[in-house]
Amino acid sequence: MSVAQFDRLAEKVLRGFASRTSRRSVFSVLGGLLAGAAALPLLPVARAGEGATDSGADPNSGEPPPLSTGNPQDPGDPSKCDYWRYCAIDGSLCSCFGGTVTSCPPGTEMSPITWIGTCRNPADQRSYIISYNDCCGGVQWGRCQCQNNQGDRPVVRPQNNNEVTWCFGIQSQTYTCTVSIILGVALEQK
Amino acid sequence: MSRRLLIKIAVASGALMAAAAAGQSSAPAGVENPQLAWQHWTLNCQGCHRPDATGSAGTTPSLAGTAAKFLWVPGGREYLARVPGVATSALSSADLAEVLNWLLWRFDKDNLPADFQPFTAAEVGALRARPLRLEASQMRADLLRKAEESGRP
Repeated sequence: MSVAQFDRLAEKVLRGFASRTSRRSVFSVLGGLLAGAAALPLLPVARAGEGATDSGADPNSGEPPPLSTGNPQDPGDPSKCDYWRYCAIDGSLCSCFGGTVTSCPPGTEMSPITWIGTCRNPADQRSYIISYNDCCGGVQWGRCQCQNNQGDRPVVRPQNNNEVTWCFGIQSQTYTCTVSIILGVALEQK
Repeated sequence: MSRRLLIKIAVASGALMAAAAAGQSSAPAGVENPQLAWQHWTLNCQGCHRPDATGSAGTTPSLAGTAAKFLWVPGGREYLARVPGVATSALSSADLAEVLNWLLWRFDKDNLPADFQPFTAAEVGALRARPLRLEASQMRADLLRKAEESGRP
């Protein structure tokens, strides 16, 4: 379609629209939309939704905890020890030191040698394989400790023990904190 | 989109799927469920050996491009099931046999001998009852040296 043809088509459509509508009717529709949008938060549905997020879920109710990752499939607060991915962790949370649940804080290096476990996601009730990589080389803060230890074995089986500091294969062996990276979905146990 | 083009796309994707299925049919011998074997590997071995099985110098030997070479020389097959990380694993002997068969195929398929017989639960169970200890690293070095000298059978 050439530009001239497009111009003619646009002109035809606009002239048709103008001849069928009045300016007053456009203003009345716009006004209605504005007033309606402003009144939406007053509706009981909206107020009920707000109440639910304020109060939070009862931790003993078995319901998924309130969302704070922004992803309904990944519920919970990654800065708290009860976040689902931390079920087998033993260490400090990197999300507490300027890192995130999957990235190390500035100035530290992620160890490629890791302790690996599984945790059940409350959103879909499936188990996920989680790699607990230590971040090493920073300051030893010693805060935001989190010990959940699911699947942990005694230290006589070092490959299945999470108390070992896994700062191997990198420059520093000074432990700072631990991240929790999903490697995949675990098969359901028979 | 013309109907003829759609048919061509359908035929091409069908051929691709068939090729993928053919690729899977060369799955490792002696592994009933490759996904479960991968999961056992991930939860029990990968932490130290790394996802690509290259290991870490000084602490964890590489399996990639190496593991199947042990099968070239007498005593190598026994070494694979008696090495401490394998023998003292928390896995059952049946699961362990599958993981061994799977990892030999996954990380060192090119070096597998043509007449390779998969590990069985009974064989692994008997071998892991006599785990290697400090002698493991010396035995590893000797076996690999002999394997390099003899070459692939």
